[in-house]
Amino acid sequence: MNGKIGRIRKAGAALAIATLVAVTGCSLNEGGGESTGSGDSGEQAGGATLRIGTTTDMENFNPLQSLSKTDSWILNATYPSLLRIDENAQKVPELAEDYTTEDGGSVVVFHLRDDFEWSDGTPVTAKDVAFTAQSIMDYQLGNVAAKLTWVTGIEVRDDQTVAFTLSEPYAPFAEGLGFWMRVVPEHIFSKAGDLSQFANDSDWVGAGAYILESATKGQRYTLKANENYPYAPEGGAAVETVEYVVYPDVNTMILALRNGDIDLMGTPVPVSAVASLEGDENIAIETVGSLGFAHLTYNMQNPVLADQTVRQALSMVVDTESIIETILQGDGEQMVGPISPTFADYDNTDLEPYPFDPAGARTMLEEAGYADADGDGMLDDLAFEVVCDQSNANLTRVAEVVRDDAAEAGIQLDLACIERNTFLARTRGGEYDIDLSQWGVFDNPMDQLRSTYLSTNPGGINYNLVADPELDALVNDAAVTAEPDQFVEKIKGIDAYVHDQALLTPLYVENFRFAYRGDRFTGFDPSPSDLLGMVTGYSLSQVERAG
Amino acid sequence: MLRYAASRGSRAILTIWIAVTVTFFLLRLLPADPTLLVVEGDMTPEMQDALRSQYGLDKPLLQQYLLYLGQLVQGNLGVSFRQLVPVTDLLLSRLPWTLLLAGSAFVLTLLIGIPLGVYAAVGRGGPVDRAVQFFGITSNALFIPSVAILLLVVFGSNLGWFPIGQAIDPDTRGLAAYASLLHHLALPLFSLVLVQLGPYALTLRTNMAEVLGEDYITSARARGLTPRRVVWRHALRNAVLPALMLMGLQLGTLIGGAVLTETVFAYPGVGRLIFESVQQLDFPVLQGAFVVLAVTVVLANLLTDLLSMALNPRIRT
Repeated sequence: MNGKIGRIRKAGAALAIATLVAVTGCSLNEGGGESTGSGDSGEQAGGATLRIGTTTDMENFNPLQSLSKTDSWILNATYPSLLRIDENAQKVPELAEDYTTEDGGSVVVFHLRDDFEWSDGTPVTAKDVAFTAQSIMDYQLGNVAAKLTWVTGIEVRDDQTVAFTLSEPYAPFAEGLGFWMRVVPEHIFSKAGDLSQFANDSDWVGAGAYILESATKGQRYTLKANENYPYAPEGGAAVETVEYVVYPDVNTMILALRNGDIDLMGTPVPVSAVASLEGDENIAIETVGSLGFAHLTYNMQNPVLADQTVRQALSMVVDTESIIETILQGDGEQMVGPISPTFADYDNTDLEPYPFDPAGARTMLEEAGYADADGDGMLDDLAFEVVCDQSNANLTRVAEVVRDDAAEAGIQLDLACIERNTFLARTRGGEYDIDLSQWGVFDNPMDQLRSTYLSTNPGGINYNLVADPELDALVNDAAVTAEPDQFVEKIKGIDAYVHDQALLTPLYVENFRFAYRGDRFTGFDPSPSDLLGMVTGYSLSQVERAG
Repeated sequence: MLRYAASRGSRAILTIWIAVTVTFFLLRLLPADPTLLVVEGDMTPEMQDALRSQYGLDKPLLQQYLLYLGQLVQGNLGVSFRQLVPVTDLLLSRLPWTLLLAGSAFVLTLLIGIPLGVYAAVGRGGPVDRAVQFFGITSNALFIPSVAILLLVVFGSNLGWFPIGQAIDPDTRGLAAYASLLHHLALPLFSLVLVQLGPYALTLRTNMAEVLGEDYITSARARGLTPRRVVWRHALRNAVLPALMLMGLQLGTLIGGAVLTETVFAYPGVGRLIFESVQQLDFPVLQGAFVVLAVTVVLANLLTDLLSMALNPRIRT
């Protein structure tokens, strides 16, 4: 019998060894990843390595398609865009030095720098830009396809000049396209066949600040500084290697930062963890604004919510000030209309927020004819379902606060904070009365207003499901206004109109906190939003060693 | 014997087919749409339709299912929605890590669990028995993510004995790489064994206690054999099989545990791939992973069945 036990032990040992061998092939850490053709196998030439924690793996290496946050971070660093967003949410030159308009705004011309170069030595030219845009239109790729709806022709005038002809003038066309479109090398991508099926998962050729060099799925992604990046400081970037390391659990990532296993958290620090990190002398925290905002949006297809009085009353039961104070621990900004104060030029500062006044809201509703016939303390017909994404901890708490305050005004809110994918499906399908959610990134107010309020816009994020001819006319009129001052006035007018209609109740513009090892690195140049944050190629190229 | 093996084998294939079918339809019954997750913001209906047809989600459900089965029989698990690469490649790149973690946990649980269960059964009511019972009941209530974070805080962060997450330090070579591998494996392995071991030892104890009450044990004792000999030669022979079978049954929980463990410890295995694919609704990857897991569990159970039949004539029908 000892023999049998012995056999089991031996079998166990054999299994363990076999698995080890299976994991390792023959030797560990050799040739496990995929490498680019740029050759350089990561020997440090005195440059620093900056390690960044991210919660998700890369899904897709195709810059024309991918959209997960991690994908965007890594591919935005590798492939240049025409314009970038600076710390003040302004568009500034990247690959394009500037852009001009012709023909009353219906032709937009980008003028490119002549010193961008692909990592294989080929110059970046207007042909690459034209090829990229044409491919996105042909294959309807990613969210940039929607930015190109107006384009009827693309003309390469010379190596540094590319012109887009639009079906009608559209004021923010250049900004939207310039910021969102990553330019890819024509000489590589034109040979890839069907670009909607192109995985682009090895031999990356880029022209951004950092070029993806190797990827070990599930573990890490390594980028190398591009020596020819025109915006790098004199003498080249101090950070030569950027390594993204995957930590699916944010708590583990925080421990890794404390321990020095990583130097920067790419994802914002959860509000609950800020205080504990602030007490750590090795860790610095940077506050970054947002390009989105949290909001309650009312479904206009619900006949009761179609009543402006009801929407205004709902706006009066939302105590944004105390929500910001308690749930965000003061780390957010109040909003009045649908335009975020981040876009200071367009924000209509004359607007007054709806006062927090549940009793007043109730009076207003009673005057409008809503009554409590059955004596249950709630006004009849005023029961609505609020959907929200349960993975957003702040918003699930907001939902509870608003529900309790609404009850005081006689409005019954039933909360349905559900799993994220189900939430997305329901909001897309219009299956809700009130949508409590957070916009991620609006790079300009005009695009935002078109996407969210235009009844003819098939973009699918008009969560009000509003079809208001007057609002449509205002939006369409602003969109074709080429004169800047008039344009701003028209945006402010829409801001006021939507605020008066109370199509939404804006909650807050959240500030993001990013934590990094201040004892090792300094000099990040962050841009607003958690999509850009600390980790844009430009920001990383400006980083210096601390001390 | 052959007939038994054949019937067991066909039952195994049936089980796998049912698992594949249930997974396929469950995913498609989800109240969520994978095409919605691809683009945040503006997305025209045309784009959504293009994606649907790219994913093959525009065909009738039954046709999708038959296509999938047809591919599966040829060993083709399809292409990931999001990563555009064959699911087989994805799984193969992640599977070794899960085999290492879950496989080691499996073996360790057996090696520690069997003696624990035996000693507890032999010394019923004694200190070992009480400890096993206490441990068995409490570890049943342990929640892996909490255990994992606790281990990371104490042994990784405060004491600094172990690295925080990841599977290996990429800069190590040769023997140092193996050392790094084991160093990174220690905490996730410990947390996985911790939650597996208690219930396992407890069940084995009950089993062993039953065996020790059997007539042939009593007669062996009556024949004057030493208690040690009775336990390790006679009783354990009959308890080893149930021990193995139990572990086969525990495979399911082991895999569930691996998903959570790999996620918290940032370990790059199949468990975490499942976690990520659920968030992205990447149907082909999820189906592929479940097929592989179903086949693993069913094969393990089939093997234990056949093994016990070979060793225990009483099972033969």
